[in-house]
Amino acid sequence: MQRRVTFNNKLLPYLLVAPQLAVTLVFFFWPAWQAIQLSVVQQDAFGQTSTFVGLANFRELFADPDYVRTLWRTLFFSSAVALTALIPALVLAVMCERVVRGATFYRTLLVLPYAVAPAIAGVLWLFMFSPSVGIVAYWLKKMGMDWNPRLNGDHAMGLVIMAAAWKQISYNFLFFLAGLQSIPKALLEAASIDGASQWKRFWTIVFPLLSPTTFFLLVVNIVYAFFDTFGIIDAVTSGGPAKATEVLVYKVYYDGVHALNIGSSAAQSVILMVIVVVLTAVQFRYVERKVHY
Amino acid sequence: MRNLKSALAIAVSAVFFGGLTHAQAPTEIQMWMGLTGLGGETLTKIGEDFNKSQSDYKVVVSFKGQYPEQRAAAVAAYRAGNPPHIMQMFDAGSGDMMGAKGAIVPVSDVFKRAGMQFNPADFIAPARGYYGLKDGSLLSMPLNVSTAVLFYNKDVFKKAGLDVNNPPATWPALQAAAQKIRATGAAACGFTTTWLAWIQLEQFGSRHNIALSNQANGRGGIDAELSFASDPMYTKQVQMLMDMQKDKTFDYKGRSNDASASFQNGECGMITQSSGAFGGYVRDAKFEWAVAPLPYWPEAQGGPYATTVGGASLWVFNSPKRTDVENRGIAKFLDYLKSTPVMVEWSKTTGFLPATNTAFKKLADDGYYDKDPRTAIAINSLIVGKQGDHSAGYRYGRWTEIRDFYHEEVEKALQGKQTAKEAVTNAQNRGNAALRAFEKTAAATN
Repeated sequence: MQRRVTFNNKLLPYLLVAPQLAVTLVFFFWPAWQAIQLSVVQQDAFGQTSTFVGLANFRELFADPDYVRTLWRTLFFSSAVALTALIPALVLAVMCERVVRGATFYRTLLVLPYAVAPAIAGVLWLFMFSPSVGIVAYWLKKMGMDWNPRLNGDHAMGLVIMAAAWKQISYNFLFFLAGLQSIPKALLEAASIDGASQWKRFWTIVFPLLSPTTFFLLVVNIVYAFFDTFGIIDAVTSGGPAKATEVLVYKVYYDGVHALNIGSSAAQSVILMVIVVVLTAVQFRYVERKVHY
Repeated sequence: MRNLKSALAIAVSAVFFGGLTHAQAPTEIQMWMGLTGLGGETLTKIGEDFNKSQSDYKVVVSFKGQYPEQRAAAVAAYRAGNPPHIMQMFDAGSGDMMGAKGAIVPVSDVFKRAGMQFNPADFIAPARGYYGLKDGSLLSMPLNVSTAVLFYNKDVFKKAGLDVNNPPATWPALQAAAQKIRATGAAACGFTTTWLAWIQLEQFGSRHNIALSNQANGRGGIDAELSFASDPMYTKQVQMLMDMQKDKTFDYKGRSNDASASFQNGECGMITQSSGAFGGYVRDAKFEWAVAPLPYWPEAQGGPYATTVGGASLWVFNSPKRTDVENRGIAKFLDYLKSTPVMVEWSKTTGFLPATNTAFKKLADDGYYDKDPRTAIAINSLIVGKQGDHSAGYRYGRWTEIRDFYHEEVEKALQGKQTAKEAVTNAQNRGNAALRAFEKTAAATN
């Protein structure tokens, strides 16, 4: 016999979701609405006057070659972070799956970095690679490399990519591990009996079966690199040198907080909002349907 | 036992609440600061001392983040109708504050409104020029005053065979010293600089009495147009840095204060730096060091001139909610802050320069500058140095951003991606675009 609780009250379901709705309204829809409102006006920093300027803020952005360069830079940065975070995570997950003794210990260690706040991760890397006091910078110099991320844009970019990807490896690792554990052992055993090598088994069975996880993680990592790396960049390079590490989300922060250029900053966050909507749509549409095995 | 406990509780609460109802609750004055470390601790202590000295007002000093974050928080608070009474703000933000008429009350008016004596001439002249209006009144009250100087490592100088008591006075002399440091291997880098725009553009202009813009360096009106790219001196300085970068006689170590660590660990033999770093080097530098005035180019007309002030000042926010009692409290606290004993203590503890003439005189009379001659260099460079039309400060809207334009463009030049002339011109043009946008929004408030 199935026991089913039914509610006749029509209001109750709404009441039950009301807290969540309220949170979403206050912390998402309201700020988003404010951003849209501010993106079409020109205001002094203190908000004493406000002139409607239509889409002028947006036009200015796309007419600014620096902004377009920042857009491309962000795409490069995000892809680089996603790849740097995904590949080691997959390798570690495959290795960890094979460990028999002390598996929990290794797993805990590998997951630990995810608990570190972005700004702290940033400062950690900053210290290790700081040209004047960093231990890694010291080794690099000993090896004869002229390490100076404060002046060399490529060094700075490499540094923020590593710092941003590092903690994401843990997150990816967890998902890959779960994905690996859900692959039926029978398939792998059958392949072994047929004489498939470990390498072959991985590429023909494990990797295709993992593809939904991989695709999901790819989208999540790109979203992370796009929107969540602001703390790391602020702590490590502040967008410099000469804009070498300025990505879209950092520019939103800089123009809003440092330059108090509210209209342009709001327009930029509206653009970011559109990007995240598109990315989410892609994920919902393709993650479930298109990745087959 | 239980009876005893409840009796105690009653007694305690009686004392506690009784105390509150008897005395009139003091009026709270909120002050936001952007200082950490020694400066922050000292300012907090001054607030507490003021609270102990009287019972009508209670000053609450709070740290709301570094200057830019703190300013953004104050702007948000102002927009929400609840700004702090007093806010400390860095030099470069002055133009933005002034552009927002109605958001702030000039300090001179704060005292007038409270019916209290206030004489702007009490403050040292360079600070008056920087934070004041043409009519002599003050917009904000100078608090932490600093200027740019040269710090040099005496141990490195000795090793390089340089005269430790004869630091380079001019840029060519500095280049020669840096080359010697590199050639003898006394240090990995000859010279570096902190606060690139503040020292190599703003202080540099003051030292040579050359204009950054028209309109009395922006103090004459918000329609000022930057013109520093048309003066060959600014380009020459960037070119010098570029040339020196090639052989590490100069090594760029980042914006703001990043380069400081490279002087402190002995990597760089010389550093142009804010005089505010003095206290930190006294505590942390493990070598003999000394201070010299900011170098200059000998070909500059009539030079060298005085350097100008940096640091931060205190701004009073306007709000329709303010009561007369609060306004009086603000004036009382500012009055306490600028009193000679407090200013002397502030200067002695933090290493900032005295903001008032009487505090400077008191420090000099007490032999403070004779005890360690290194402490006298900065203040002398500021007030004894020759004053010119372009060495009395500057004020522009969006200057924090314009400084970063300069940083970016010079970084690009140091990377070898553009010439010195291009760097200075691009910084100027981007700066002018920002000034025009600022002018548009600021004009709307008037």
